[in-house]
Amino acid sequence: MKKFFSKDNFILSTFNKGQRIQSLIISLALIVFFVFTAYTFMNAMYAFADCIGSIVCGSMDSALRDATRSLPLFLSCFMSVWAMLLLQAAFRNVSDEKRIRSLKKDAIVLLAFAGANLVAIIAMLVMGKFHSIVEGSPSPLYPLDSILYSLFFVALAIFTLVYLAKLQDKIPFQVPQRGEIVRKGRGVYCVFVSFWMLIAAFSFAAFSIGLFITDFEHYFFFALALTLVYLTNVLFFGFWEFYYNELKEEKKKELLLPLAIFGLIVAVLMVALYMIALATNLDAPSNFGFGTLPIAFTASVNMATLVVVFTPVIVSIVALIKGFRKRKLLKASAEEAKPQE
Amino acid sequence: MTKKTRLLPLIVVPFCLTSCGRVSDFRNADNLKKYVFEMEYHQNFNILQLTDIHWNINSSTYESKQYMSKVLAAADAHVKLEQGASAKIDLVELTGDMFMLSNSYEVTDFVKFFEKKSEEYGFKYASIWGNHDRHGQYHPNWLADQFRKAKNSLYYEPNDNLYGRSNFMINLKDGTNVKWQIANLDSGASFSESPLSPFRDYDYIREDQIEWWELEHAAAGASVPGIAYYHIPQDENLKLWNRVQSGEALKNKFFKLEDFADNGNEKYASNFLDRARTQGLKGAFMGHAHNVDWTVQDTDGLIVGLGVKTGIELYYAHIDTASTDPAMQAGLASVGIAENFDLIGASLVTITDDANFDLEHLYLNERASGDFVSWVKF
Repeated sequence: MKKFFSKDNFILSTFNKGQRIQSLIISLALIVFFVFTAYTFMNAMYAFADCIGSIVCGSMDSALRDATRSLPLFLSCFMSVWAMLLLQAAFRNVSDEKRIRSLKKDAIVLLAFAGANLVAIIAMLVMGKFHSIVEGSPSPLYPLDSILYSLFFVALAIFTLVYLAKLQDKIPFQVPQRGEIVRKGRGVYCVFVSFWMLIAAFSFAAFSIGLFITDFEHYFFFALALTLVYLTNVLFFGFWEFYYNELKEEKKKELLLPLAIFGLIVAVLMVALYMIALATNLDAPSNFGFGTLPIAFTASVNMATLVVVFTPVIVSIVALIKGFRKRKLLKASAEEAKPQE
Repeated sequence: MTKKTRLLPLIVVPFCLTSCGRVSDFRNADNLKKYVFEMEYHQNFNILQLTDIHWNINSSTYESKQYMSKVLAAADAHVKLEQGASAKIDLVELTGDMFMLSNSYEVTDFVKFFEKKSEEYGFKYASIWGNHDRHGQYHPNWLADQFRKAKNSLYYEPNDNLYGRSNFMINLKDGTNVKWQIANLDSGASFSESPLSPFRDYDYIREDQIEWWELEHAAAGASVPGIAYYHIPQDENLKLWNRVQSGEALKNKFFKLEDFADNGNEKYASNFLDRARTQGLKGAFMGHAHNVDWTVQDTDGLIVGLGVKTGIELYYAHIDTASTDPAMQAGLASVGIAENFDLIGASLVTITDDANFDLEHLYLNERASGDFVSWVKF
């Protein structure tokens, strides 16, 4: 265990006190915006799933009408995601210059989303699409709550831009920089990581909401299995993000393989648990309170749950492949370092 | 604390969370009585069916309430005009998919709306689960509680060994005699044929539910006529449709613009109607397929049909008089309406006497130039 959790394994051990505080604040803010992302993503998924339902049933006019009314829900999700990217930019760049550029760009995009939401709501109020500023549905204060949410992000974006403008040539953050994503396969990597992040955000929302809306009374085993699956997804993401990504590069190379094997075992156990739970009650998925699976319609609940259940397996397999490659590279460099006889 | 006592909560807590040991048997005579609500029978007992309202996260419930208020007002005015000033809607049947991808705020608002309207018009309302009512940001038991607790709602859902949630009866009584029996059945959501199936089949009325209906009907009296309301059409709808298509002269009316959306699997076909029709069932009405309100009368008099979708949520059919679709033209010819309209509104059953009922479909569209309101008799 000491091998995995030794203080010296982490980048944090190379930080001074000021850097540690900065790092901690950004990490906490990231967690807060991850939670915002999780819930707004769930709402957006609800709105999206209903629109998809209308399209599948041949009613494009209903889908467009609904998507328009729920535009603030979609934009709220984008705002939350972008606020997270903004904070990520503080961690994830190779140079201070690039970091400031990223922060500026992300703040402007965040401002654009928040501004667009405010404009859309005002336009819909003027056009009579909303009958009042607190028309209600999906919440008692809708769309006022969405206005307030947008104003918060407008303030955050403006604060970031003003802060960066005042800095001029000074370096905004003292935290050591992390490596850039390798150019080869960058697109695939970004798509995969974004999907993984959204599955994790969804799983967090599903886990926390599920504790209140899942029928443990009538479908205990299935409900428990799916709850554990959601929790595993969140823990997996948290583990890779807040443990693995905090390791020093040489430790990453060393520990990736054992971590990937451990992850794969846990993920496979979760799949087995889910399949056994499903086999014991084939009626359960559409009766246990499947509000945690917005995109799952009556006929496709199984398909949706399988995506959620199998994601950690895929993540672990990818990590395993990377782990073998890193181990091979590590061995090769060790061979090279050996004195020639 | 010993190792054994430490392990005890691990065994006890999950047991307490499940319903083991507290499940009532629907076959027990005392329990059977608990599924029955009673209402006073009178001539021209009016039952208004609202179906597939589908409040969801995208809905303007403000506009939906406005629309449903118009439907209720139109129905009230219609029965008063046809049956006299004392006539009213006696019972509203909400036949499933009241919600889809909705949340607890919307559910609470929905129940409040129906409580207000039931006070205004003097009706009771019965709620039946559809496949989508299980798909929202609320606990299924909490949703059941909202209907159970509401003053004017008729809803019963015990922790029993009967499949589904909203299985209950409404006996219409004249003194001590049951004159009619209205059955409310939960036709479920979906099921997997195996744990490895990627897709699920639409649910069906299960054998134990049919047995329960038979027991309840026998308790009310073997000669008591009945009407059943549920959400998902069963295979009998398609069989009747096929008979009409093959040229059999069965009385039929209204629109069939999509499939009935039952599971279509003979292995899982319910024989509810085939069994219940021999025991006094006179009518069966459901929802689920929004573009269908097609209704048919079999040779033995049983009327089977879908209600009219209520409101504009999710999807609904636009009836176009210029359409070349033979199904739409057939529907138009059957209702005799010569203008374009949307297939939304409600369905009205009026129990006229001890053995008969009338059926009418209401098409109500909100229009800036004045609402379109059309009542069509079956």
